[in-house]
Amino acid sequence: MSSITQNDLATLDDGSKKEIMTFLEAENSKQKVQMSIHQFTNICFKQCATSVNNGNLSSQEETCLKNCVNRFLDTNIRIVKGLQSIQ
Amino acid sequence: MALSSIFGGASPSQQQTTAVPSAKASNVKDQLKTQIAQELAVANASELVSKVTENCFEKCLISPYSNGEEGCIDQCLAKYMRSWNVVSKAYVARIQQASTSGEI
Repeated sequence: MSSITQNDLATLDDGSKKEIMTFLEAENSKQKVQMSIHQFTNICFKQCATSVNNGNLSSQEETCLKNCVNRFLDTNIRIVKGLQSIQ
Repeated sequence: MALSSIFGGASPSQQQTTAVPSAKASNVKDQLKTQIAQELAVANASELVSKVTENCFEKCLISPYSNGEEGCIDQCLAKYMRSWNVVSKAYVARIQQASTSGEI
């Protein structure tokens, strides 16, 4: 793919600029969610995947993963509230 | 990069960049979007590779090294991908639940 030059960017009209801003904001929030999923999977896989006997998840492991995500988020919310109350 | 297609790097319809002068701005715009989406997909793919490697190294390569590690790594990768999907669904469900109950 040819790279975009400064001159190319100068040809953008206001409508296109606005559209790109909206696109960036949407991609940005999608990316935040994606990175959280990476983080949670990393943490919860360590906790929940006890053995690698086959490539499938057992029902206990699946439940463990779901609980792990929810407890992580509960912890996060509690900590935010705790810090807010200190202020 | 083939791996980036997992994260939808190739999904935004790739417009041909034969420059019709009047359509230049829209061309640059689409090119910009495609490039951003592609770079994010590559970032996601490399994050996944590094996390799977880290986790499956821990799970499978316990010294003394023995045979059957390759099988373990393949299974571990499959398991990690399934875990990713479970975590993703649980997280999205939680976000939706929080947004309908007005928490966020």
